[in-house]
Amino acid sequence: NWLPPSHPLVSELIVPMTEQIAEATGGEVTANILPAPLGPPQAHFDFAVNGVADITFGVQGYNPGRFKTTNIVELPFLGDSAENISVAYWRVFDEMLRDAGEYDDVKVLAVFSHGPGEIFLKSGEVSEPDVLQGVKLRVGGGIVHEVASALGAVPVEGPSSKAYELLSQGVADGILFPYESVNFFKLIPQLDEAISVPGGLYNTSFYIVMNKAKWESLDPEQQDAIDTVTGEALARMAGQMWDAADAAGKAAMEGEIAITPATEAQLSAWEGALTPLVQAKLDEAAETGVDAEAAFDMLKAEIAKEAAE
Amino acid sequence: MPEALPETTRPRGAFGLRAALAVLGGVLLMALMGMTVTDVIGRYLFNAPLRGATELTELLLAAVVFLGLPAVALADEHVTVDLVTDRMPAAVKPWRGAATGLFSAVVLAVVAWRVWVYAAQIGGYGGTTTTLAIPIAPLGYFCAVCTGFGALLTALVPAHALIRHLKGH
Amino acid sequence: MESWPVGMAILGVLLLVGVPISMALAGVGLVGVASIIGWTPALSLLGSAFFDNGRDYSLSVLPLFLMMGNFVVQSGIAEELYKSAYAWLRHRKGGLATATVIACGAFSSVCGSSMATAATMTRIALPSMRRYGYPDRLSTASIAAGGTLGILIPPSVILVFYGIMTQQDIGKLFLAGLIPGLIGIIGYTIAVRITLVTQKIDLPVEPKLPFLDRIRALKGTAGALILFVFVMGGIYLGVFTPTESAGMGAGGAFLLVLLSGRFSREKMIAVLYDTMKTTSMMFFILFGALTFTNYVNMSGMTRDIQAALSVFGDTPMMTILVMLCIYLVLGCVLESLSMIMLTVPVFYPIVAAQGIDLIWFGIFVVMVTEISYITPPVGMNAFVLRSVVPDVRLGTIFGGLAPFVAMDVLRVALLTAFPGLVLLLT
Ligand code: NA
Ligand code: NA
Repeated sequence: NWLPPSHPLVSELIVPMTEQIAEATGGEVTANILPAPLGPPQAHFDFAVNGVADITFGVQGYNPGRFKTTNIVELPFLGDSAENISVAYWRVFDEMLRDAGEYDDVKVLAVFSHGPGEIFLKSGEVSEPDVLQGVKLRVGGGIVHEVASALGAVPVEGPSSKAYELLSQGVADGILFPYESVNFFKLIPQLDEAISVPGGLYNTSFYIVMNKAKWESLDPEQQDAIDTVTGEALARMAGQMWDAADAAGKAAMEGEIAITPATEAQLSAWEGALTPLVQAKLDEAAETGVDAEAAFDMLKAEIAKEAAE
Repeated sequence: MPEALPETTRPRGAFGLRAALAVLGGVLLMALMGMTVTDVIGRYLFNAPLRGATELTELLLAAVVFLGLPAVALADEHVTVDLVTDRMPAAVKPWRGAATGLFSAVVLAVVAWRVWVYAAQIGGYGGTTTTLAIPIAPLGYFCAVCTGFGALLTALVPAHALIRHLKGH
Repeated sequence: MESWPVGMAILGVLLLVGVPISMALAGVGLVGVASIIGWTPALSLLGSAFFDNGRDYSLSVLPLFLMMGNFVVQSGIAEELYKSAYAWLRHRKGGLATATVIACGAFSSVCGSSMATAATMTRIALPSMRRYGYPDRLSTASIAAGGTLGILIPPSVILVFYGIMTQQDIGKLFLAGLIPGLIGIIGYTIAVRITLVTQKIDLPVEPKLPFLDRIRALKGTAGALILFVFVMGGIYLGVFTPTESAGMGAGGAFLLVLLSGRFSREKMIAVLYDTMKTTSMMFFILFGALTFTNYVNMSGMTRDIQAALSVFGDTPMMTILVMLCIYLVLGCVLESLSMIMLTVPVFYPIVAAQGIDLIWFGIFVVMVTEISYITPPVGMNAFVLRSVVPDVRLGTIFGGLAPFVAMDVLRVALLTAFPGLVLLLT
């Protein structure tokens, strides 16, 4: 646990998850949430691998080079609902991505996606196709860095916790973030304009994993019970949680940030600019031995199926 | 400037080691500084910040921190609580120094071992930095070696002082 | 079975027999964690605590500000600065110590870390105070205490941590830190007077200089002023972030050394070697503290404290009073950042439920953290001073700090009685 207890990821996902696990196993398996993190975010996957903690969650992107299959879900224009994307992502993971072996050291309880990343600016002609040209955008790294570059912006690096500093000091002119994060990191007063991109510019992949030895120490009935409340069900709950957090973030922006949908001209320009990046990311994912193209197609199909419901 | 121990109380070879550490550490620190300056100037004059400046800063920081450990050990400058130890009789001091040095060396040796193992683990999944994709494992091995070296010196420097004390110097 | 009192006792013994603080914390932390979750995971946690935290970007300000301070010393500015300060304050008793406190406050407005402020000001202020015959007891205490202002006067690393943990507006937190920071400077000035009177320290008082001479004496501050305006102006005009200002400041100070004509390769290497040593020393204490914190975290200490807290009354004032006592005790033994990381997540929901303003509570937390920096046996600012000037005994530093700690406690009381003083600017 590396987030404050009030963060929705903890209060509305991890806590209910532990309750559901306890309920499903008739109280035989209970989890304690530690009051403070054991280490920096990038260490949490290994905490589960090494048994430092039984269950951990985090962002695959914090361990660059380790997870290449996450590329598939982090690509632009996938969808506006974290729930749909997360459910589809879990199904693709379960069917195809698991074979890449990236998670062989742990028991995966869920993989899921944050809501889509949008564009936030201090000022600018938001309808101009070249609105991002030369604009300094704070990015966290990974695909966001590459998206910003591809769109002609100047990526300014810094951890999320420094985003406020970078914006308030004028070092960055804007940021690529989901609605929830802009609100969570208290950036609303710093920003005046937003461009909402249909389908989002990128997504962020998360994991919730369990120590393998711990998992194997449970009897089959307990394992089955946990499987019923994790996997797709947990991914769905996570997606719903992010959607609600994004909605809350958007509501908090009411009257503070003007949200303008991206124009047709902008979209076609950006889609063109990002096509090589999408291909490069899929190629990278394919290095793990999975059929990245097929996985990407399945992901899009599953998202469409979910959206239709 | 901290008052250094007189050269005579140091193990032989300490001087050369110190010079090597100083030059390497100096280069790393100047690089750390130069990076920020380049990043900021590049951002304003050329609208082109240094790509990967954040992660290069992180790598250099770790290198400086761990490289500094042998330097700290060499000067026997680990910070201690001296509320009681300063009141101990003079004859006890070298013994106490050797004992606490040994304790610290054991702790540091364990740390060195674990940083090495951790580096191997990161290397195992090909862990890299975010933007420049620089492999992290080699830095981990470097830090582990520095820590091991620091452990050795942390034990040897007070032991050397004890031996000199016993010889009656 | 709660093992944490045992762990705390062992830690105390190790520290008292003179085991380095970093190693005592790491050793007890490792064995403690192993006793709870087993050796294999405890050992891997140890590797992560040292290697992952050693690569923390936000901690890079530490070596860079140390380096800036070291360069400034080499450039000869520090002496000039204190000569002029002395010109203005030489007719006052303890004028240089007062000047140190004020300079610490000024430096805090460009540096977000208390340890870096203390380290930098030690290099600038201590040699001058020694030259003018100030007892170490007074001079080290005024720097260690003045340095704590680094996390109260904005920018502040700790306030950023707090703001993120409690979802409070960081800008508001920064503004809220200003008035308490100024009160802190006044308080420390009074503490200097108290020290002079109670210790019967007789410092030479020279006749007041004519006004024109005092103006002329300001010439020596030009270099420092330029650097100050460069760094501070850079931050406030948004040219670079406070983190970047560390690197830019070091670069600027390096330039000043080159311009001063005092540059030599030997000196340069000595400065950098020294910076590296101090950096490493501080980081290993931090690693040890973080390892120990993991043990505290797992051992149920936090939960026990929470349970103990609820025993006391329900009024906000009672809660704050109890928390103040807990912080004073914790602050003695825990490294400051660990203390915050450990307590804030536990305390702030309790505080919020009582209807206490969370911006105010942030400043309260920072003020008690300031106290933790200067109270024995684990007082990070005293350690910083000790690492820069190993010939001063920790007992001397902590002894001299007593009146400063008293002023800090008074300030907490004042701002608890009049919370409006904190919230005035927000
Ligand atoms: Na500050
Ligand atoms: Na303390």
